[in-house]
Parts: sequence; C-alpha cells; structure tokens
Amino acid sequence: MTKGRIRNNVRRLRFDRSEMTQQELAEKVGVTRQTVIAIEQDKYSPSLEVAFRIARVFGVPLEEVFQYGAPDAEAA
Amino acid sequence: MDLSYQEKSILGSLLAMVVVYGYYFAAVLRDAGRPEFDGGSLTRLILAVIAIIVIEIVYHIVLALESKPEPKDERDILIECKAYRNAYFLLATGAFLVIACVIMATLAREAAPTRIIVTPFITVNLVLLFMVLAELMKFLTQLFYYRQGLR
Repeated sequence: MTKGRIRNNVRRLRFDRSEMTQQELAEKVGVTRQTVIAIEQDKYSPSLEVAFRIARVFGVPLEEVFQYGAPDAEAA
Repeated sequence: MDLSYQEKSILGSLLAMVVVYGYYFAAVLRDAGRPEFDGGSLTRLILAVIAIIVIEIVYHIVLALESKPEPKDERDILIECKAYRNAYFLLATGAFLVIACVIMATLAREAAPTRIIVTPFITVNLVLLFMVLAELMKFLTQLFYYRQGLR
C-alpha cells in the first residue's frame, strides 16, 4: 500500500492566533516543543488524539488543521 | 544544531558507552590469548559497569541543571519503540551467533584435536559485545529518527 502524505496548517494557524509560540501550543496540547516543530515540518504525523487536541486549541475542525493527500490524488 | 533534551540525553549515553566499552573491549582483545576467564578480567568488567553508571548519573545531573528536563511524549515513545525493535534484532542475531559458535567449537573439538576452544571468557565477552552493540543500535536509531523524522 502506498502511503499518502498528511499535510498541516499548524504554523499558519499559530500565527493567526496572535502568533502563539510553539512552546505555548506544545503545553496546551501536552507534547514537547520538538514534536510541534516536527509536525510543522511534516516530519511527524501525530496520533488522532493529538490531532484532535491541536484542532481544539485552535477552535477549528480537524480538516482545517490536517489534510490527507492520497497518492492517487497526487498522481492525477 | 538545536538538540532536544531527549537527544542530548541519548547522545551522552551513546558517548559514555563508546568510551567505556571501547576501552574495555580494547583491553579484552589484548587478553584474548588467555585461555581462562580470570579474576582480573571480571574486575575490569565490574569497573566498566560502575564507570558507565557513574558517568550517566553525573551527565544527567549536569544536563538537568543546564536544560529543563522534558517528559517523553508520544513521538519520543514511538521513536523508542522503533529503536528497541532494531536493537532486539541485533541482540537476537548476536545470541544466535554465540550459541552457534559454542556448538561448532564443541563439535570441532570432539571430532578432532583442535586449537579452537570457546572459553567462558570468550563466551561472556561475546554476549556482552552484542548487548553493547544492541544498546548502541538503539541510541543510533533514536538519533536517526529524531533528525530524519517519522514519515
């Protein structure tokens, strides 16, 4: 099975929320700052639970934070 | 290079192991000609273990004072799981090789007079070597995934 890519708008959403720092987001979500950095750089796809917690911090639906780019859609 | 608390902790443990066990195995190789696992070798092994423990404690105290310790989150645990998997394969391979080595040396000795002997000294150090290599594999895998990411 070919893996798709999960993209996110965490960095943009942070800046939209009065430039929330990575540390502030990390503390609100309950992860380390390094994990927030990894998520923003697309180096780590968080668990569903952490993904929901991030969406809740920003007050937006999950789809607005994370998008799944299926391999078929990318090839087309 | 911006290193996290976990990365600094792993890097320190990795360096401590390389230095202490590097020195230990260099000394073991010098003694490789000896047929028996004597008291001096056992003392050296105990000293190596104590040295590792002391270095780790001192390093982590300094690290905790220098940078704020961070509890492990889901990414740290996932990386640790992947590292343990690689370390397990290396350790299992090592255990298999040591067993095969002992069996083959015994068979060879029974079949014909030979100089091939696997003494307790060699067996203990081969097992220890693979334990150290497995631990190094764990540290290196963790550092790799922290830098490379988990995609």
